[in-house]
Amino acid sequence: MSIWEILIITLIKILVIVAIMFLTVAYLVYFERKVSAWVQNRLGPNRVGYRGLLQPFADVFKLLVKEDIVPDAANKPLHTLAPFIALFVAFATYAVIPFGPSVNIFGYDIKLVVADVNIGILYVLALTSLGVYGITFAGWSSGSKYSLLGGVRSSAQMISYEVSMGFSIAGVLLLAESLRPIDIVNAQYGWMWNIVLQPIGFITFVVSAFAETNRLPFDLPEAEPELVGGYHTEYSSFKFAGFFLAEYANMIIASCMIVTLYLGGWQIPYIDKVGLSETLTVILQVGAFIFKTIFMLFMFLWVRWSIPRFRYDQLMNIGWKVMFPLSLLNIVWVAVLIMIFNL
Amino acid sequence: MAEKKRKKDLNFFERIYVVEIVKGMILTFKNMLRPKVTMEYPEVKFDPPASYRGRPVLVQENNGVERCVACGLCSRVCPALAIEVQAAETELEKERYPQKFEINMLRCIFCGFCEEVCPEEAIVMSKDYELVFTNRDDAIYGKDKLLIPVDKLKDRLEFLRNFK
Amino acid sequence: MPYLTIDDKQVEFKQGQTIIEAAVTADIDIPHFCWHPKLSISGNCRVCLVEVEKMPKLVIACSTLAAEGMIVHSKSQKTLEARNAVMEFILINHPLDCPICDEAGECKLQDYAYSHGKGESRFEEIKVRKDKRVQLGPFIKFDGDRCISCSRCIRFSDEIAGANQLTFVKRGDRVTITTFPGESFDNPYALNTTDICPVGALTNQDFRFKSRVWEMSSTKSICVGCSRGCNTEIWVRNNEILRLTPRLNEDVNSFWMCDNGRLNTFKFVNANSRVDGNYIKENDELKKVDWLYAISKTADYLKKYKGNEIAFIGSPFATCEDNFTMVKLAKALGVSNIDFAEHNIQGDQDDILIREDKTPNSLGAKLVGVKPAQNGMNLEGILRSIKEGNIKALYVMEDDVASISNEWEEALGKLNLLIVHSSNFNKTAKLANIVFSSSTFAEKNGTFVNFQGRVQRIRPAVSTIEMDRALDRMNMSRWDKFGTQFDRWMQGHKYDAKPGWKIFSLISSQLNFKMRYEMAEDVFADIAKSIEAFSSLDYDVIGEIGSQIEIKKTVAV
Repeated sequence: MSIWEILIITLIKILVIVAIMFLTVAYLVYFERKVSAWVQNRLGPNRVGYRGLLQPFADVFKLLVKEDIVPDAANKPLHTLAPFIALFVAFATYAVIPFGPSVNIFGYDIKLVVADVNIGILYVLALTSLGVYGITFAGWSSGSKYSLLGGVRSSAQMISYEVSMGFSIAGVLLLAESLRPIDIVNAQYGWMWNIVLQPIGFITFVVSAFAETNRLPFDLPEAEPELVGGYHTEYSSFKFAGFFLAEYANMIIASCMIVTLYLGGWQIPYIDKVGLSETLTVILQVGAFIFKTIFMLFMFLWVRWSIPRFRYDQLMNIGWKVMFPLSLLNIVWVAVLIMIFNL
Repeated sequence: MAEKKRKKDLNFFERIYVVEIVKGMILTFKNMLRPKVTMEYPEVKFDPPASYRGRPVLVQENNGVERCVACGLCSRVCPALAIEVQAAETELEKERYPQKFEINMLRCIFCGFCEEVCPEEAIVMSKDYELVFTNRDDAIYGKDKLLIPVDKLKDRLEFLRNFK
Repeated sequence: MPYLTIDDKQVEFKQGQTIIEAAVTADIDIPHFCWHPKLSISGNCRVCLVEVEKMPKLVIACSTLAAEGMIVHSKSQKTLEARNAVMEFILINHPLDCPICDEAGECKLQDYAYSHGKGESRFEEIKVRKDKRVQLGPFIKFDGDRCISCSRCIRFSDEIAGANQLTFVKRGDRVTITTFPGESFDNPYALNTTDICPVGALTNQDFRFKSRVWEMSSTKSICVGCSRGCNTEIWVRNNEILRLTPRLNEDVNSFWMCDNGRLNTFKFVNANSRVDGNYIKENDELKKVDWLYAISKTADYLKKYKGNEIAFIGSPFATCEDNFTMVKLAKALGVSNIDFAEHNIQGDQDDILIREDKTPNSLGAKLVGVKPAQNGMNLEGILRSIKEGNIKALYVMEDDVASISNEWEEALGKLNLLIVHSSNFNKTAKLANIVFSSSTFAEKNGTFVNFQGRVQRIRPAVSTIEMDRALDRMNMSRWDKFGTQFDRWMQGHKYDAKPGWKIFSLISSQLNFKMRYEMAEDVFADIAKSIEAFSSLDYDVIGEIGSQIEIKKTVAV
């Protein structure tokens, strides 16, 4: 392949991914509203379009036509920059997530990932730790006590949980012996999913992922009863939409990461033994990836309506005294596994 | 009443709350499958029971005359001062009739005191809950909007006979 | 003084007083319908039954003379039972029509039925029906059903009004009240019966169904119909006077007032002819202008004339404060031609209340100095000088001078400058070059001096643009208290008027002669300081029932 072909293929992949990104984020909002409604025995949005399917666009349109308010006390450059950092971080992470195995289209062998980086996981970790800047900047630059408290809480929370998140991933890396997401998925061939091999790691990672995405029960940075809107109290219109998008994009990434790291990515156990055509297999595998991701997203919402918000001290307790030791224990467990079974 | 347990009374498994969390998740999941309670308003309309307190209306007898004698008790008892009555003399047997009867629906709090105090059963709470106006003047309902034929209020009048 | 005991309380009484009179002086309330302190004793309602020790039966407190050592129980079990029984009898034929009855809210029968009634009737038969809506006189409607035959109205017209026009007819439960054949209940005090009627049988045609009594605010004031100055209450709703009622003042009017005063002295306050804002004549047409402009124009015009070319005419309709400030301004301008016009109707006077002098304050106007200064001309002199052309400018306050005679009307036309304070457009105001809108008696604070030399206060009951109900501590009804600008009942018209003393002090400041008055009370303090008759008086001393002043022979009417 010439450099031009690679460039064009990558560009197309980026466009497709970004388009899908926006759509999925939009429909995740719709999905969340529907699930929330169902939990509360309601119907949920059902007015705009068939069964309310156009609701997300109405929401976005509404947000865009609103007045953009910047408080007098705000640091204007940072105030404007913050939502873009959050958005950038969220979207950039998509680049390394593999949606399926390689496919052959028009004679090109295309990997279903934008950038097959050999340090993909490190890249994700690096970017997610950058994500805290968006929120911290937003909190600090708004010039409002609610925003500031939200920002401070958020940075403390994200730094704390990043530790146990990192250690949880370490277990996965030990088994896969690679930082490349595709290798990690391939390492989970058959039933050798990491959720089976290291359930403790799965739990610590999922909990940390909830905390990293600021979702309930860890949504202290934007706890409405205490902080109005948290770090985005002073945001409106397009900038608020930026944070909104970023939060939901983060949710999707977290789900994708969980699926990639623990639920075998696009793998369907023993599908290659059944003898389907290659194209069908790939379609099924991509379908499996999407299904798993949607399931994890559903988990996010399900948990949201089942478990109440933690107190801040409880949050820190769990982060440092429970999740951190557990993730260490997981590494020991994986090491033992490797020693005994020589995986 | 369940015995109240403190944190120190819990054993290890109770303390990690995993069972309780799972129980809670099952409960919310079950809820998702239950029938929905939402009433899709403009298409499906709520038909209130006779005890419902919608907007207050004046009872109009079949001969087209209002029952009201403009005694002003509703106006006096109204905690929100929503009702304003101006009486005048009429040649009818009741001597007195409301020349002006206005309820400011922005003030009305639907407490039903006016209905309770009325000596003539002339003002009753209807089932009408669809109140829309776009300015303060439209919110003041005069006799034209308040007078409702007695046939349409039978439910409420019967309810009042039985329970007032 | 002898004593008797009522409800364990030692009560002092004068020989010849009845039990109920003794009780009233001791603030003990014994229910009564037919008894009235100013009327003869009839004793037919039986509701004032009390238990007197050593008397075999209950006695009626209104006609039993109090005696030394008597022990009376007005709240004993026996009394209450008897009273409840009497109430039940009275209520047998009384219709349950409080909702449509105007008396509701100030009805004795309603009050006593509430405190002594059983709450329900045992009477299952059909009530006796009598005539309703009977036109007894020009202003009174009678409802036979409601009448409890207490005979107060009959005794009043006989004993107080001196016109024996009413009587009972028929007997038993069919007894009713009517006028004697060929008579109409039209004596000049007839409407007082609507006040003393303990039920709603007699109602004031003028006020009938206009308002419930609890919707109005009442303000203690003085009637402006004649120089008697009857004490009144002004009843106001939606910033509109709906009725006047007499107020007890033993020294002036007792419980009464005349029908003319009650019906005709307040209508002009809300009449269509009210002057609302100030007017200046330009090209033979009165044009509305604001206060600042009108006042500076007035000052400019007045400066053009010499003191002896100007005359000031005060008013016996205006308060002492207004007249006093006018005189002060006139003297500051070097004017000595000051007087006021009297309005007497010869022969229209009686021994009860009505006076020939149809103004409330002619004595007050004289006392504060509305009279020609040295070398000044009186009213006739002013008229003559105007005709001769010596007086070119005339300042008339709150009086319709042009209506006195055709001569006056013609004379006013010859003036170069006519400035008028007026509350309503009348002949004088229409001739004027400048018309100031002045507050009526119901819109300002002030004092009147009646023919006896009694200084009495008027208080604002109707708010103008410059008088705010809450800020100026006017009496407020519940509606006034809780209303907002968006409520229709708060949108009663407020006139753009100021009291005379305020207009004069504004003019004086334009003329660099400052009268520093913030409120009517300041003016009165100045009056008390500078005029001997008023010394030692202030608004608090005058109070609700006024105070008598010593009048020197020289100014007596």
